[in-house]
Amino acid sequence: MAKQISFEYDGKQYTLEFTRKSIEIMERQGFNINDITDKPMTTLPALFAGAFIAHHRFVKREIIDEIYSKLTNKQELLQKLAEMYNEPLEALMEDPDDNEGNAVNWEASF
Amino acid sequence: MGSEFLNPASQISYTEIFYEHFPFYLAIGMTADEYWNGDCTLTRYYKKAFEIKKEQKNEELWLQGAYIYDALCAVSPVLHAFAPRGTKPHPYLDKPYSLTKEKARNDEEAKHKANRQKAKAIFEAWAATLDLPSKKGGKDNADNRRSPNRNNS
Repeated sequence: MAKQISFEYDGKQYTLEFTRKSIEIMERQGFNINDITDKPMTTLPALFAGAFIAHHRFVKREIIDEIYSKLTNKQELLQKLAEMYNEPLEALMEDPDDNEGNAVNWEASF
Repeated sequence: MGSEFLNPASQISYTEIFYEHFPFYLAIGMTADEYWNGDCTLTRYYKKAFEIKKEQKNEELWLQGAYIYDALCAVSPVLHAFAPRGTKPHPYLDKPYSLTKEKARNDEEAKHKANRQKAKAIFEAWAATLDLPSKKGGKDNADNRRSPNRNNS
């Protein structure tokens, strides 16, 4: 099951999720996840808006921005959105279960 | 200088990677709608299912090879160019291999039971050919064997 964020706003239930199609649409519109550190003020609301494409494609950008401005705990929200954004790619890149053969194991000290 | 350390992967967009993998998932039975608009984790399960299918196919081919090998072994006596006149092939397996442990155990038990029945039938047939004394006579004979000189003393 894909990662999702759910909330209720103005009496309506919203489910945020990224599909491959929504990421494709976002990238076609100029979104680049690498800009998240250089241009956070524009990238983060765009990332949030992109999460609406999968289930609420026709919600107006003004409403999305309004919701975004009212959401609490943005730091964690954006971290979750970034995780969700990466999930469609991770699901493709996943290693096979068995690490036999030529796999190189690694570990970090932090 | 140092450009050789730039990660070319960072220049590739997610969309490009999605399109790169798209044909593979189409080939293993995922629909375009599932791939693009469905739950993104579905690809994991399609891939695992594909691995299982590959494994099954491999086992089927191996099994087919085993049956062909058995068939060749069975007919090998008549394939011999200088086989004596009247040589017959061995019979082919009377039933398929047991693929599960339970089936193998049941088959083994059935085989043992059949062997026991066969041995019993052979023994009974052999026993019927013997000229055994009757029960009474048998008892008398046994008494005689135990004390052969009783009457004499």
